[in-house]
Amino acid sequence: MKKVTLFFTPQRHKYVWFLLLAPALLSLIFIVIYPMIFSLSLSFHQWNIIRPGGWTLVGLSNYIEILFHDSYFYSSLKTTLIYLLGTVPIQFGLGLLIALILQNVTQKISGFLRTTLIIPTIMTPIVVGIIWRLMYNPDMGTLNYFLDLFHLAPINWVGMPNTALLSVMVADIWEWTPFMALILLAGLQSLPTEPFEAALVDGASFLQMFRFITLPLLIPTMLVALLIRIIDSFKTFDIIFVLTEGGPGRVTETMNYFTYRYGFKFFHMGYTSALSWILLMIVTIISMLLIKIFFIRRVIER
Amino acid sequence: MVNINFKSKIKKIMFTIAVVVIFGVILFPPLVLFLTSLKTEVDALSFPPKWIFKPTIKNYIDIFGDFALIKNLLNSIIVAISNTVISLLFGSMAAYSLARFKFKGSDNIAFWMLSIRMMPPVVAIIPIYIIMRNLHLLDTNWALIIAYLTINLPFVVWMMKGFFEDIPKEIEESALVDGCSVFDVFRKIAIPLVAPGLAATGILTFIFAWNEFLMALILTGTKSATLPVGLIGCMRETGINWGYMTSGGVIALIPVLIFALFAQKNIVKGLTMGAIK
Repeated sequence: MKKVTLFFTPQRHKYVWFLLLAPALLSLIFIVIYPMIFSLSLSFHQWNIIRPGGWTLVGLSNYIEILFHDSYFYSSLKTTLIYLLGTVPIQFGLGLLIALILQNVTQKISGFLRTTLIIPTIMTPIVVGIIWRLMYNPDMGTLNYFLDLFHLAPINWVGMPNTALLSVMVADIWEWTPFMALILLAGLQSLPTEPFEAALVDGASFLQMFRFITLPLLIPTMLVALLIRIIDSFKTFDIIFVLTEGGPGRVTETMNYFTYRYGFKFFHMGYTSALSWILLMIVTIISMLLIKIFFIRRVIER
Repeated sequence: MVNINFKSKIKKIMFTIAVVVIFGVILFPPLVLFLTSLKTEVDALSFPPKWIFKPTIKNYIDIFGDFALIKNLLNSIIVAISNTVISLLFGSMAAYSLARFKFKGSDNIAFWMLSIRMMPPVVAIIPIYIIMRNLHLLDTNWALIIAYLTINLPFVVWMMKGFFEDIPKEIEESALVDGCSVFDVFRKIAIPLVAPGLAATGILTFIFAWNEFLMALILTGTKSATLPVGLIGCMRETGINWGYMTSGGVIALIPVLIFALFAQKNIVKGLTMGAIK
């Protein structure tokens, strides 16, 4: 066995493995590592890109300003968390329901529905935004048409502070629930059939089988789905941009959007870099925690 | 016996209703987009919305008569294809190295690349914007071709690493014994063996580049704007011309949907970075 693997050892092909790796590695160093160091250093400076004058070293004051004096930062953090908690669990629940339904219909229908599920998932997010702007339009939008059918007053969905965030979240749920369903369906279809057959022989009910066989076996898939959606949720930008631009006021301004606005509307590059590092820290900590939970689960299962 | 029959009939009806509802909710919004793109301006703005109307392709003719949007479309195609080619080339080489040569730190490099994909793009975009500005690459297609490597290169490495690990080493090893160089083995044996995976990965990198908006918004200007930026641009300047926006949206979706059909089997794998097969 050892003799066979010898042909691919780094020692034998002294430089080849590195030559293969180098273009990608060097590219990523140039477009990820270098910019990140650049941004870290910038976050300790003050610099407005559209005004003359260079960087002024200000130490930690950008971070202190954000963490202790910037109420907008905290309101955007709150919006981000509301957004996360209001979309991902619903996507997960509905996705699981859809996956279970699809598993119980004929092959032909479920194959066709699978293709349908891919459509919102793979769609250009900007076009998703356009579609929902069309649906939410206060004058001729389809949703107000449905309200009209039931003789209800029209609603300015994305234009009013109390419905704007909810409206964006509904669009997000529409966009990503099918993705959850796709992942969970793939998970369901890869489950072994023996436990289910044995349970059927023993006369277990559908709910019992779901609770004691499907659910425990599906947990790794569920964690992957949740992990991906939670991380992606912090990146949500496009549909907010199209639907509300963070408004009205700031009710739909997530951390991601807040950072963008600071950088490219106000051009305070130092402050924005500090903001983006704080955002990165929050995302990293949350993903690390989730990955840890994920791997502990895996170890236990083995 | 009758009871069981009755029960299963109810079950069947419930499932049918559920399936119809799921279909409807998913397909209705894109259908509204498509229908609106076929309406005249008067029909598009009428309330209640007209479900039966005389369809017109005027909006599409207008779009293809508009030089700016054609330019956006071309930019999108150039950026997405160039970025895909570079990502596939560099990415599959690196993936082969990581899959076959277990050198010190190879797993760390692979995980580092995965973690890049988790990073919110807004974090990287500020320094990338400044660097592109200093290199005088802002508002050129190069800015996006390079910037999208942050998304697509780690993706290709991670996906292709999985595909390479799935093929048995023995053929490659016997070729090495026969005196082939590693490069030849990679090019002439490994790549043909993973060709379907490579194609699916390429389709997904194309779609990611085609769909991307935030980086395009920041790094492009009038000369190099891609289709998503162009569509949003016409929303801003003139109020909303729904015919224009919706037909533009449909045009943006066409390549994505066609490609997605081809890569159907690998889409879940791709979107979960290979965690789910």
